[in-house]
Order: sequence, then structure tokens, then C-alpha cells
Amino acid sequence: MKKDTFEPYNISDNDFEQCVKCTICTVYCPVVLVNPDYPGPKQAGPDGERLRLKNPDYFDEEALKLCLNCKRCEVACPSGVKIGDVIQAARIKYGTKRPTLRDAIMANTDLVGTMASAFAPIVNTTVALKPVRQIMDKVLKIDHHRIFPKYSGEKFETWYRKHAAAKQDGFKKCVSYFHGCYVNYNFPQLGKDLIKIMNAAGYGVKLLEKEKCCGVALISNGLVKQAARQARHNVRALQKSIVENGHPVVSTSSTCTFTIRDEYPHLLGVNNEDVREQTELATRFLFRLIDGEKLQLVFKKNYSARVAYHTPCHMEKLGWSIYSTSLLQMIPGLELMQLDSQCCGIAGTYGFKKENYETAQGVGQPLFTQIEEADVDCIATDCETCKWQIEMSTTAKVKNPVAILADALDIEATQALWQQQ
Amino acid sequence: MNTSKDYDVIIIGGGATGAGTARDCAMRGLSVLLVERHDLATGATGRNHGLLHSGARYAVTDHESASECIQENMILRRIASHCVEENDGLFITLPDDDIAFQSLFIDSCQKAGINAQAIDPDYARLIEPSVNPELIGAVKVPDGSVDPFRLALSNVLDAKIHNADLLTHHEVTGIIRKGDRVTGVELYDHQTRAKVSYHGKIVVNAAGIWGQHLAGLAGVTVNMFPAKGSLLIFGHRVNTMILNRCRKPANADILVPGDTICLIGTTSERIPYDEIDNMYVSTEDVDVLIREGMKLAPSLATTRVLRAYAGVRPLVAADDDPNGRNISRGIVLLDHQERDGLSGFITITGGKLMTYRLMAEWATDLVCRKLAVEKQCETADNPLPGSEKNDFSVKSATRKIYSGSRVVQMSAQDRHGTLASNIASSDMMDDAMVCECEGVSIGEVNYAIKELHVANLIDLRRRTRVGMGTCQGELCACRAAGLLGEALEETVQAKDDLANFLQERWKGMYPIAWGETLIESQFTSWIYEGIYGLKPENN
Amino acid sequence: MKFDTVIIGGGLSGLTCGIRLMEQGRKCAIVSSGQSAIHFFSGSFDLLSRVNGQEVTNPLESIHSLPSEHPYQRVGQANIARLAEEAPQLLDRAGMVFAGTAKRNHFVLTPMGTMKPTWLTLDDFTSFAKNDKLPLSRATIVNLQGFLDFHTLFIKDGLTRYGVEVQVRNVAMAQFEAIRRNPSEMRSSNIAKVFDQGDALDQFAEKVNKLGKESDVIILPAVFGLFNTTVPAALKARINKPVVLLPAVPPSTPGIRCQIQLRQRFQELGGTHFLGDMVREGKFKGNRLRYVNTNNHGDIQLEADHFILASGSFYSKGIKAGPYGLFEPIFGLDVDGENEREKWFDKQVFNNQPYMHYGVRTDARFRPMINGQPVENLYAAGSVLAGSNPLKEGSGAGICLLTSLHVAEQILQDQDDEERYI
Repeated sequence: MKKDTFEPYNISDNDFEQCVKCTICTVYCPVVLVNPDYPGPKQAGPDGERLRLKNPDYFDEEALKLCLNCKRCEVACPSGVKIGDVIQAARIKYGTKRPTLRDAIMANTDLVGTMASAFAPIVNTTVALKPVRQIMDKVLKIDHHRIFPKYSGEKFETWYRKHAAAKQDGFKKCVSYFHGCYVNYNFPQLGKDLIKIMNAAGYGVKLLEKEKCCGVALISNGLVKQAARQARHNVRALQKSIVENGHPVVSTSSTCTFTIRDEYPHLLGVNNEDVREQTELATRFLFRLIDGEKLQLVFKKNYSARVAYHTPCHMEKLGWSIYSTSLLQMIPGLELMQLDSQCCGIAGTYGFKKENYETAQGVGQPLFTQIEEADVDCIATDCETCKWQIEMSTTAKVKNPVAILADALDIEATQALWQQQ
Repeated sequence: MNTSKDYDVIIIGGGATGAGTARDCAMRGLSVLLVERHDLATGATGRNHGLLHSGARYAVTDHESASECIQENMILRRIASHCVEENDGLFITLPDDDIAFQSLFIDSCQKAGINAQAIDPDYARLIEPSVNPELIGAVKVPDGSVDPFRLALSNVLDAKIHNADLLTHHEVTGIIRKGDRVTGVELYDHQTRAKVSYHGKIVVNAAGIWGQHLAGLAGVTVNMFPAKGSLLIFGHRVNTMILNRCRKPANADILVPGDTICLIGTTSERIPYDEIDNMYVSTEDVDVLIREGMKLAPSLATTRVLRAYAGVRPLVAADDDPNGRNISRGIVLLDHQERDGLSGFITITGGKLMTYRLMAEWATDLVCRKLAVEKQCETADNPLPGSEKNDFSVKSATRKIYSGSRVVQMSAQDRHGTLASNIASSDMMDDAMVCECEGVSIGEVNYAIKELHVANLIDLRRRTRVGMGTCQGELCACRAAGLLGEALEETVQAKDDLANFLQERWKGMYPIAWGETLIESQFTSWIYEGIYGLKPENN
Repeated sequence: MKFDTVIIGGGLSGLTCGIRLMEQGRKCAIVSSGQSAIHFFSGSFDLLSRVNGQEVTNPLESIHSLPSEHPYQRVGQANIARLAEEAPQLLDRAGMVFAGTAKRNHFVLTPMGTMKPTWLTLDDFTSFAKNDKLPLSRATIVNLQGFLDFHTLFIKDGLTRYGVEVQVRNVAMAQFEAIRRNPSEMRSSNIAKVFDQGDALDQFAEKVNKLGKESDVIILPAVFGLFNTTVPAALKARINKPVVLLPAVPPSTPGIRCQIQLRQRFQELGGTHFLGDMVREGKFKGNRLRYVNTNNHGDIQLEADHFILASGSFYSKGIKAGPYGLFEPIFGLDVDGENEREKWFDKQVFNNQPYMHYGVRTDARFRPMINGQPVENLYAAGSVLAGSNPLKEGSGAGICLLTSLHVAEQILQDQDDEERYI
């Protein structure tokens, strides 16, 4: 039976009204207990929205900006209320404060990344210096505990054009890669790893036409107009790849993927209908092929590692950790354990801000304890900011599942399987 | 209270009219007793739109009512600012309506002194985005919203400041007569279940629709023609301006925002007098209200309905027309001495919430004439308690002591005006939230219990909005019951009270029990019956 | 994705089915749209507390007086008796210890200070054999200052009627000042989080011991042990009088703990748990359900040999009510219930509400139907089933646990049959 034949018109499509005040969201909010200035997801979200509709003066910018936008309240909500979206949408709708210089700098990952990459050795040394971190702490209110991710000298895009682009045309099937800022400016190796895997699987990897930062940091720092501009630009690029060229889009960042798929339509009002389904994490793309028996991966015989998987908040919201963990579990020498899903506290640029440092570390503490107690070689996770946070706050080394797969994959044997056919 | 005291005037009815009359009489120096069967604003006062009529609705059909409305409208903006929201109204013309009506409407408004201006439909869509985008005409008028609970309460508070006495939950069971003279009332105290009598020189029957019954107790006849009107409350504010249809008044053609919600009404149905205490909203009423409401603001179709309720308009048959063909919507003041030869008894009825103050003034003028008191009415000039002018603005009131207290303090300010400064907020206990939907704090609950005549949870709801939010008491009812029980030192009653409160909430929910409301009800039952073991028979 | 069984709903029913099947070596996935109603757990599971308004002494014997369409009658008394023995064992294997037997209800104290008959009670809580008197004469009720969700006055009132001398005390502690600063967050789960770590519990116990010197028992809100399962035992060890815990306004701390333990048990057995996802629709071939699609997994279908619908009642949206009718939102299954909304309710809130009885219609094997035709490989269990008013009967948890075990047996048998046939 077709669904619309039996489901009559749903009477309430104001999402916040579906809240039945069960208060379950509060149990799973990582912020409330650590920072009591945050009113909690129920108060800040559905309860607050009703009051804000009565009078916009009820909007409390200082309180609402404490929300990490981790969406764990949404995952927990039994009534399907998009609590995180309600809160973020309120910040967008009612927010009046202009972002500070610091927020603007941190949010503009592309601009900063491009400049920093050009002067990578100087930047890396400078921001690592204690006095410089102290100055950033005082002047920019970026907490001095923070260690900045290193900038790579050569951007991933530059490397790709020089060393990889030409080869990709030799494949019959292609995907486009949304590499994100982290791969482009800080860690091109992950992009190289992805290309290695995809090529081995028989797929060429293209880049999108002028990919821009997904905009997650712009949204959380209140630069919504710019975020929407970039979102529209990216959606056009995705359309070109998916709709015009028939190349699905994959990414190695759970946050970029989540932002493009869900935050674009929900918070920025950017319609992504025709590209959403085919914009996904690379691990999901690979899983689908393997699950549908269209691909087989062959792994190195001598590979051995003990790995614990950490579910980033946006991965929890996407519900996709099964794809990454299933792939890891396919590696014969890999022993996988799953950490209890908890927020690491960084939430993108949130934890970098001086005023949030204590909250961020408090939120992450239970996860850090779990990690320190786990007897593993490395932590696997799909989010780059989780990686920074965990590496700064624990002794663990963190890798993207794609990097681990690339490490363990027997490229030639994998290639041979489909080339024979 | 002193039962041997001989009051100048005893007023029956704790609606807006009775409360206003008590205030007016007290301000003119009379000794006043106000008696009410249930609680303040439990009759028609608390069961209407809460619309601060500009009079525009009546302009075409009833010039006199229209000009009374606009005059009182302007007075209430002055004296009752914390009960009123000056949000203006639109009279919209839809493609089905006759646009020619608009010019007649504007003309009539202007004749009544109502500032009605035709505006461009595009402009209407801009200033009120919820409006039906298909409108072909719009007229802006000085409508507003008025909170009838606050209005009745602040009149009573002012009466008390002027030494009036108040008895709620006291039902009049008899009018005491000495020959052709009324000398007092017999009361039944619902809380103590005791009978008690009070004496007064004049008894004012301000009992609204129940005035017919009271007149009967006094041995005279007043014919009321009860007209039931049903309304729906939606879960949040859809509109910021009042939306009306620009046509002759009909069913469900007014959408009024009020505090956190908005409401659509009304239907109109003549009912037999013996049904006035048995108000219910039928399935058909609900369907009509939603269907017609959608024409004003299409998003109502997908907005959660919170409650349904009905009230009875106290319409009076003219004396020369006992069959009710010639029903007056205007104010009716009956001097039973002149009319029936019964002295010491007057009836003030008819009218509407908007003209309560004028009705009170008329009634008080008559009382004063009879008692040979010459003091002039001052109720139009002096602000009500809570509405005094000062620089205690919302912004300066929202001191940030604790994070969430902003919600608590702003909500309290909205509800109590300047009186919010009486609410304790000195420590975190005071600021802790009892009702999370409406931002009611312990401080506010305790203030209401102490100062605002609260006998039970339902009264408390009218004073503070506890349990009026989305969850309809699911979380806050037992918190509030606990506080009330502690304050009144009455545990046994507190459990009954809690059960009664849940029943009272259910009454407004079952007519619209689908979707989230049914879910909410099931959840509430699990908590109170399943987990808490609350059962009326256990208490 | 291919599983042996896909279970729709991650509440008490879904998890019970999942654990039972995983224990038998079947590969299961649970799709749960948010956290479940176990979060409102009172501390006790009822099997059958009342029939026609009369309290039940022996639930097993009273089953025969239930109407024939009641889920218990349809599982059969003998099966119920057997499964009622299995259920606490399953819970025990998941790390939860329950006291009680299906042959005789015991009693627990409610937050109204009254006694309520029940079947299984979590060892956090106290069971009483009789409901006409309490084995105590002096009690101290201790609340945390500023905690509004524990109603000492009501408990005191109830206990006083049992002739118990009651004193009420409040405890203030620095550890709670932070959450108290937040006007909406002094709630049980946040308090429990504080007790989960650090020395708050020690200090609290010390204060309680001082306050309760003169009493036989200490009565406390159940705010102990949310993520840390050792807290309830530690509390009882540190307080030198017997402790009686009473439920506070939900979400319930012991309930959340139970939910986590059940989920962990399911995952430790190898089960796949999809939280925060929703089954959108199913694809049928003839009378068989082939796969379901979820919001999160989109085109990647969840295939299985068997499916279980454990999606709950109205609250969990297992069935929905619109202004013009009832419906089952995933597959459009047949619903038992009146179509006109004015028949759904009784005007007295505490009366037997017709809507509470509504649910999906199933055949003798608990398979839901579409237009009267049962779906071959879909089973329904728990609160989504029609035919009872769990609230009035005190049968909610029993129906969830026992119909789930029953349905799991049906599936295991089904698969055995198929294997034999092959």
C-alpha cells in the first residue's frame, strides 16, 4: 500500500509542537551539567521557541550560543522534534550580535586556510609557540590550551591537479570528492588515501568545480548569509557532478556531509533535494557496493591493529557509524571495539573559544576516560575536529577509517578482482 | 470576616463586571463585599476571545456598541496596560466576500470614531505574514488583545486596596428580603461547606448569565437568552495582529493572539437555560472552527490545537419582548425598585467584556444615587494595580541573576505588570521553574498563593498560567500542587486538588484529542495514574 | 543490509525480542526512533494488577477472567506462566535483578504514599508482602533542596494513614548548587549525574544518617545510578537504615539505567542498534515483507526474514490518531479502534479511556494484517497490540515482556519449520 493512501494529513507540522515535554533530551545533553548557564535543550528549544513567537525579546543570545549543536537531543527525542535545529534556527532568526573578529577568522576556514597554507612552515611554528598562543588567548580569546592543526605546505587541490587528476579519466566509473577544508589545508594525506581506495575499487575520483567550505563554522559563528552563499555555490557544484555528470559525491568528513545534507535545507533554507541522496560519506558508498556484492576488498595478510571507534555527534545523528565500523571489521587483522557514543566537546570552533574551553573539556571528559582506559593502537573516527580534540586531550592517536582502510588494503589484489571481469 | 457587618453594597459575581463594580464602588468610598461562586473570571469573562475590540466588528450593525467599544478600548489601554496588548487588527476581505462591504465598513467605523484605514493587501501580507495570502482587501483597526483573568484580578486588587472584601468559592443560595426590600445574601462556602449570611444596603446582581437565577432567588424575573460560543486555543502564536473577516459577523471569524497562544472563535448556538453549567464543545464545533480559521490564517491547518472551550454570552431579552426576538447586545441596567417594586436590588447585565468598566460605572452611579453618595467615577482615570506608569520597563527588569531567570522574570512581568516587583527573586529557589512551558517560578506561585486569592490549583492557573502551556499540566501540576499543599498546609485536599486539576485540563482536551494532544494525555495518565498512583478514590 | 530479524522499536518489547533472538543466535537489528518509554519506568513491572477494577492477588489465575481478545488470553495462560518465569531470567542476564513472582503480586509504595500491587520490582526498590500495613513505624523522608519533582507532602500523607510517624527533611549540598542555578534543570537525571561520580554520595549519606537517627527507614527519591550501575548499592551500603526509594517525575533514573543495560546486552550479543532512526515504509512481495526503508539509511534497505513491530502505543507513535481516524503509520496495518474521534474518550479523565485499548489487529500468531490478510513474516508485540487497557489493568510491562518472548518463540519456531522444509 502506498503510504499517502493511509497516512492522512498530519495535523502539526510545526516541529517544535510535537514536543510532549518528556524531558528525555535533557538527559542526553552533554552541556547542561557542565555549564548550568545553558538552559538545556528543552528550554532553549521547543519551550523557548513558543516564548520567542510570543515576543522575540525572549531570545537569549548568550544562553543559546552555549548549545554545541551536537544534535544528541534530536537522536534521543522520541517525538521527532528537531531540537538542535530549533535552537540554531532561533540564533539565525533572532540573533542581532555581529560576530567578533575572532569568530569571523575561525569561521572563514577557506580564507585562513589558503593564507596559512602559503606560509605553512611559519604559521605552524608561530601558532605553536607559547607566547603566540598567549597573545591569541588574550587578544582573540582563543584558548591558549588549544594546539592548532598544522597547515600543510601544499594544498590537496594543488597536489591533486599535479599528481592525480590526469589518471582519473582512465576509469569508467567516477565519483566526485568533497574533500573539505581539513583535507585541503591540513591533511592532504587523507584525500590521497581516499583516491587510493577508490581507484583500487575501480572508481576515478574527480573534484567538484570550485568546492567551497561547507560552511559549518560560518553557521555556528552567526555568519549565516555567507554560509548560505557558500551553500548555494556548493549545491550548484554538486548538481553539476551528480545531475549533469552522473558522478555521486563522497566525503571523508562526517561534519561536512551532515552539513550539506541536513543543515543546508534545515537551517540555511538551501534546497538540496536533487543532490542530497547522492552526497554521502565514502564509507557508506563503499559499504553499499560491498553489501550489494558489486565490490570486494582484499586486505593485506599481515595487517594487524587494535582500534576503537568513536562515534562523532554528527555521525550519531546521521546514524551511519555502522558503515565505517562494518568496513573496519572486514579487515582480517583488525580488532575493533566500539566506544560508547559520547560527545568529545569540541564541536568545531566552539571548543577553541576561550569562554568555552572549560565546558568543552568537561563535556569530553567521560569520552577521554573511556579512551585512556581502552587498550588500543589507535582511535578511529570520521570527524577531524573530534580528532584534534581527542589528540589534544588524551594520549591516543586518531585516524580516519578511510586512512586505516587505505593502510590495510591490498591494492593490487583488489584491483585485480574487477579488472579480470 | 465579620458577618455582622452591614455593607453598603454586596456585589454578586466575580466576572469583569462584578470586579469592576466592586472597584468603582470601593473607590467612591462605599463598603463593598464581592461574592463569587467559583473563582474570578470563571464565567463569560474568562471564556471569550480576549479581544480588545476596537468596535469595528459592530460598526455596521450596532453603532452604539461600536462607539462604546472604541471609547473603552482607549481607556483600557491607559488604565490596564499590563492586561492589554496593543497589537492592532486587520479586517480582511477574501475572494468569497463582497468587497463592496469594505467601504460601508470603513464609513461606519469612522462614524463611530474608530480609526479604520484600508491598506494594500500586499502591505497586509507584509505586516501580518500569517494572513491568508489570497486576501483582496484589508482594513487596519485599533483592535488589541486583553487578558480577562488579569483584568478581573486587577480590578479586584484595586477594590481591595480601597477596602473592599472578597469571598470566592461562596455561592449565593438565597437573597435575604425584608418585605419589599433586599437586605443581604445567604451564602454556601464550598470550601468549608458552611452556610453564612451577609447583610448590605444594596445587592448588585452582576452574575452574567446566572443573573436570571439570582433574580429568581430575589423573587423577580430577568429573562436571559443563553448563546453558547465555542473557541479553540492553538499551541502557539500564529499571528501578531488580530485577524477578522470584513463582512457581517459570522462563525469563527476572529483569530486573536493572546500571551503564548492564539485562539479562534466563535460559534454561536442558542441553548436552553438549564444547560449553562454544562458547557461542552462538539465535534462539529471543532471542525467548523478549524475550517473557518484556516481561511483567516492557512497555517492553522497544521498548528497544534491545545484546547477547546465554550462560554455563554449573557444576552438579555428586552422587557417588552419576553420571547427574545429583540435581544440587546447593549448594556442592561435594571433598577428592580422601579421595575418590580423591590428595593435594594439592581441587576447589571448584557454588554460585553469591553464595556465592563462602563457597566460598572452605570451600576455604581445607580448605587450611589440610592445611597445619596455624590462622589464621581474615577475608574477611567486611575490605572489599575500593575499598570501604573513607571520606568520599570521589561528591559530593566530582566536583570540577569541566573541564566534562565530571564524567561521567568519576563513572563512574570507580562503577567503582573509592575506588581511583578512583589515576586521574590532573591535566591535560586525563588527562580526555580514550576511550569516550564509558561515560565512560572516558585516565587510567582508563592506570591499568587499569598496575595492573589488562590484556593486551589485551578485558581492558581488563572493567576499565573501554570498548566496553560503545551503540556497542560503534565509536568507542573504536581509541582504546583506540592507548593500549594505546603502553603495551605492541606495535604489531603492537595491530592484531590491535583485530580480535579487534571480533570479540568482534560475537559478542554478531549474535544480535540488527536495527534499530540492524545499522546500528551496518554503520557500524563501514565505519570499520574501509572507511576504516581493518583486515583480520586485513593485520596 | 541483511538481518535475520529487523525489530521496529527499541523499547521494552523491542529489546526483549532482540535479546531473546540474539541469545538464540539470530542476527537482529533494532530501529528505534529516539529513546523509549522505559525512561518512565516506575521501578516495577506489572503483570496484572486489576481486573474490572478489582485488585488481583494471583495474576496467573486471573488471566482467565480477561476478555478473549486480551493479549494474555491469546498467548494462553500456560504460555504466560512459562514465559513469566523466563522474563526475569532474561533481565537478570542483562544485569538487572528483580524480585517477585507471577503467582502472587507483591506491593510497592507509590509517590502518593499508597500501596500498589505489582509483579517484578527492581532491587533498587522495596517490595512489601502486604498492602494493609507497613512494617515500619517511623520514617524520615529526605529530599534534595530545590528538587521539585519529589512530593514529600503526598508521601507523608499516605504514610500517615498507615499509622507511620513521618518527618520530612531537606538536604542542601554544594555539589548541586551549579544545577540549581539553572531554573529548569534541577531534575532527577541531572541529580543522578552528580551522584554518578565524585564524593557527592558519601556526603549525602553522611547527612542522611544524621537526619534519620530516630527513624526505621529513610525514604528518598530514586535519583541514584544513571550511567553508573554501582551507585544504588553504594547508597544502601552507606546509609545505616533501610532505604526506600520512590519514583520521581520522569525521566526515571533507574529506567534510563535499565534501558542502557538492555541495549548493551543486545549489543554485546552482537545486535545492531539504530537509534534516532525511523522506519519509513516497507516493501512487500505478496504477503511477505521483504525489506524496510529508514530515514537515515535511505536507499540502503534493511532486509530480513522476519520483522517485528514493537513500535508502541500512541505515545511512541506506533499508532497515530488524526482528526478523522486512526492509523498505523509505517505499513498502514489494520487498527482495532473506533474511527469517529468522539468515541475515543471518556469525559472523566480517570475513567477507562477507550483509546487506551487501541492498537494493531493481529491473527492468532500475533501477525498484523493489511485489509484482513496477515503479513506472513511480520509480528507485533508489546504496546502496539490492541485489546487491553494497560493502565487500568496494570498490565503494560507484562504485555511488553511476555508478548515479546512469545513472538520471539513464534519466529524461532517459524525458522525451524522453514529449515525442516528446505
